[in-house]
Amino acid sequence: MSVPSVRLRSLKALPALYTRPGYTTRPCYVSKWLQSRGLQVSTAPPPNAVPLRKHLKDEAKRKKADAKAGTGLRRDNAVTARLQKWELTVGIEVHAELNSACKLFSSATAASGDSTAVPNSNVAAFDAALPGAQPQFQVATLLPALRAAVALGCDIQRKSGWDRKHYFHWDQPNGYQITQYYQPFAKDGAIRLSAEDGVPEEDLLGGRSLLIGIKQIQMEQDTAKTTHHPPSSYHIDYNRSGHPLIEIITLPHIHSPQTAAAVVRKLQSVLKAVDACTTGMELGGLRADVNVSVRQRGTIGSSSYSGVAGLGQRTEIKNLSSFKAVEDAIVAERDRQISVLEAGGIIAGETRGWSLGSTETTRLRGKEGEVDYRYMPDADLPPLIIGNDLIDHLRDRLPELPDTTVERVQREYGVTEKDARTIVALDDGDRLEYMEATVELLQPRLLDVDDLKLGKLAGNWVLHELGGFLTANNLCWSDLKIYPIDLADIIAYLTRGEITSRTAKQLLEYSNDDSTSRRVGDLIYDLGLLLRPLSDDEYTELARTIMDENPGMVAAVKEKGQKGKIMWFVGQMVRRGEEGTIEPGKAKEVVERMLAE
Amino acid sequence: MLGVRFGEDGIKGALVGRRIAIKDNIVTADQPTTASSRILEGYTSPFDATVVTQLRHAGAVISSKVSLDEFGMGSHSQTAYEGAVGSPFTRNGEALSPGGSSGGSAMAVADKSAWAALGTDTGGSVRLPAAYCGVVGFKPSYGRLSRWGVIQYANSLDTVGVLANSVADVESMYQQLDHHDARDPTSLPATVRKRMTISKIAQPAPLRVGVPLEYNISELTSAVRDTWIFTLSLLQSAGHTLVPVFLPTTRQSLSAYYVLAPAEASSNLAKYDGIRYGRRTPGNDASPAEGLPLYAKTRGEGFGEEVRRRILLGAYALSSEAIDNYFIQAQKVRRLVQRDFDRVFSTKNPLIEHAATPEADGAVGVDVLITPTAPTLPPTIAELKQQTSVESYMFDVFTVPASLAGLPAISVPIPLSAALRESIDKQDVRSVGIQILGQFGTDDVVLHAAKMIEGLCAKA
Repeated sequence: MSVPSVRLRSLKALPALYTRPGYTTRPCYVSKWLQSRGLQVSTAPPPNAVPLRKHLKDEAKRKKADAKAGTGLRRDNAVTARLQKWELTVGIEVHAELNSACKLFSSATAASGDSTAVPNSNVAAFDAALPGAQPQFQVATLLPALRAAVALGCDIQRKSGWDRKHYFHWDQPNGYQITQYYQPFAKDGAIRLSAEDGVPEEDLLGGRSLLIGIKQIQMEQDTAKTTHHPPSSYHIDYNRSGHPLIEIITLPHIHSPQTAAAVVRKLQSVLKAVDACTTGMELGGLRADVNVSVRQRGTIGSSSYSGVAGLGQRTEIKNLSSFKAVEDAIVAERDRQISVLEAGGIIAGETRGWSLGSTETTRLRGKEGEVDYRYMPDADLPPLIIGNDLIDHLRDRLPELPDTTVERVQREYGVTEKDARTIVALDDGDRLEYMEATVELLQPRLLDVDDLKLGKLAGNWVLHELGGFLTANNLCWSDLKIYPIDLADIIAYLTRGEITSRTAKQLLEYSNDDSTSRRVGDLIYDLGLLLRPLSDDEYTELARTIMDENPGMVAAVKEKGQKGKIMWFVGQMVRRGEEGTIEPGKAKEVVERMLAE
Repeated sequence: MLGVRFGEDGIKGALVGRRIAIKDNIVTADQPTTASSRILEGYTSPFDATVVTQLRHAGAVISSKVSLDEFGMGSHSQTAYEGAVGSPFTRNGEALSPGGSSGGSAMAVADKSAWAALGTDTGGSVRLPAAYCGVVGFKPSYGRLSRWGVIQYANSLDTVGVLANSVADVESMYQQLDHHDARDPTSLPATVRKRMTISKIAQPAPLRVGVPLEYNISELTSAVRDTWIFTLSLLQSAGHTLVPVFLPTTRQSLSAYYVLAPAEASSNLAKYDGIRYGRRTPGNDASPAEGLPLYAKTRGEGFGEEVRRRILLGAYALSSEAIDNYFIQAQKVRRLVQRDFDRVFSTKNPLIEHAATPEADGAVGVDVLITPTAPTLPPTIAELKQQTSVESYMFDVFTVPASLAGLPAISVPIPLSAALRESIDKQDVRSVGIQILGQFGTDDVVLHAAKMIEGLCAKA
């Protein structure tokens, strides 16, 4: 017997509802939800989300500014002294929304990233915790979770289980979250980071890279989305309720705020690369909680967690939604803990919060206010059994991981590691695809140039020239209208010496112009941009004219021996000569000869 | 096909035109479902429970939704928000307990306002009211009947059960409901059902009937003990073999049950917060200014005393300081109870690969166990009011073990002896509930034995 699963969308047709007079009854979720449908539910990215590129740039800027400012130096010294005395330890829990078509325990569409979905339109009976509704594990949600676990080198557990974690909140319709507390599906993984990922030198301890242990990965349900309508109204959208998440718990192996941010960034890039997640931190697809403790170097603390003993008392900072927030919150909490300890105080095990722009974490609740989650196996759900054949299948078909891609790009295209990393990291992989397409198109155009050189050429143009072009014109990647074939043509003409590099750069602007559909070749001929070699006489005539106009400069070279001024003449010739006619090398020859006379 | 009936409009089905009462913790789309709780006041489910759909397909008429102990928590059907259920019987003018928590279902069958009724049985909630109201009450093996749409009390124990005036009627209801349902993740899959069919014993050979000695407790009243002995002697004279058996964990099972069921209840009832449906206390129920936990007022007012007591008990049993001593210990006892049963039944437990067997202990197994359903005749409501809540939990002592092990169990009314009938009030009960238990999955054996006992009593 197959009965379609109950969707609350169709509940409009419910019969008149029974109410007893004299009591305040809530007639039904339906009317409440229908009301809420007129609402604009905010889907804008959180205000504190910072895109990766901007983050990296800001960081570099900040470091430069710090280095310049004298006060910064003094402060740095004080901080350094403190950090020589105190050791920071951090463990991270990352919650990531899985890329899945349905929810974890219902066949309702998992459309939490879909801003067009009407609030409360993707809600099955179980997602709204209707009486008598039961969970039905959706096997499809396991695939992205397994891809993530395999990519992070975890041992996939043949048998895992589902547990209820109890706490009351309006975004938690059942009064508990189903998670994997006693038996997670994946254990004992690791993630490798290097200096290029943002790990500071001192964390690497002289090594090439750093291995951060992953204690476990568990699957669990997401909560509903709440929007606050001041002063005292809250509207709840259950579309996200029951969306599958994975929680990745690292070991407390992290000893600097920068490395912590790098771990989260790296986890995000791995999850995206294997298609386990589609939305990153900037869109709320990833959230992090951090456990922070400090201890005096050389001493052994009395606390332990995740099987690591000897640590100082930790605090937990919850719900960090950007890489910058992860780093800044840890810095603030580390400094707070050191100050408390240096003043003779003790650290209380508590949960703290952080908001962007603040310099201190704030206490949310102490141990006495801590919720006892009363974990309990969910008796409705059978254990999850994962066969080796499925794991092998996924392992064989796992998409390339970012580190492997970087290595391949270096190897195949001869670009530097730094450039390779940047190309791979930019524009969600679009930049890399663009470059690979360009190289492929260049090969038949430049048969006599070897592949490594072509790769280097293309890499340089795709990263630096296109990047510079976009920045200069205040454009972003998605504004680009130059196709790989255009770029390949430009590079080919330039490499064959048929246009000057100045022309090549100008061609970027022409090609990106909407109003023309002309190909690069046509543009070059139509606009007469082809390098037209001048005769020796023509070079000499142009040089003579410039020298006649600038006797002072001539004297500077001839009488004072200021050889550097020669290049000034070359520059003038390139500028004064007709478009695409002056080759700087040839011009230099002519100027040198004439000034030597 | 057993008992195909035709309706006036030519509809064919085993239950055409039969009036069925539904316990009000089983959701129906055309009538409100409140589980007899104030917190679900005014709630109508957008869907039918699978068992209701199955009955409708078989042509049955859902005649009424009937009261229960709030959320199924009780043994006497006295805690319903809409009012206590009355028994058809009185003793010296005093009202008797109808049993619970499916008291409304048993009453509907006893007073013939329904041909049969659906109840739910978590620790005896179908069998006890059947015994107290003089009807047949059957709790099938856990996982046979779908729980989709059954409001959870303790979901590892909750079982839909059937009440009717004869074993045959119970059986014809049961046959309509005994199917796999993909929407209930605990519904037995086809593969397990197939395995259980193979293990079926040949009928109608003489049965080996086990008599658990631990059930002969001091609290057993003479009326119950005499009727138990009478039933056993009937069977013996009919050629069946009586075998004394030991179920050493019986005593602990009641304690284990009253740890596990409240623990699950505290979890299952966490969803009632007044936000999406049901009753909500007016005003600001989530005000941190008042220092109250969320929904404290709504839940405090919406739940009755017994439900609040069990939620607190359960929350404690699951708390990090108590879980090892209570919840985990109780789960271990539950395993021991199951092993006790595996050691006496001739049929191997189909759910456990390396299940204990009687042969391993050098014994010959039994086909069914026969015990009383309850240690006493129904108490009066006045007597109940004198009892503490813990004393009232005692009434479940014989029904809880089968629930913990998920076994099929049926309560059959056995007439009191003529002498006993003479000695009591004319308005008092005329029968004692006798319980028949079978190995997991041998529901057909249990029903077969029940029918046979019913027949022997009719002749006696």
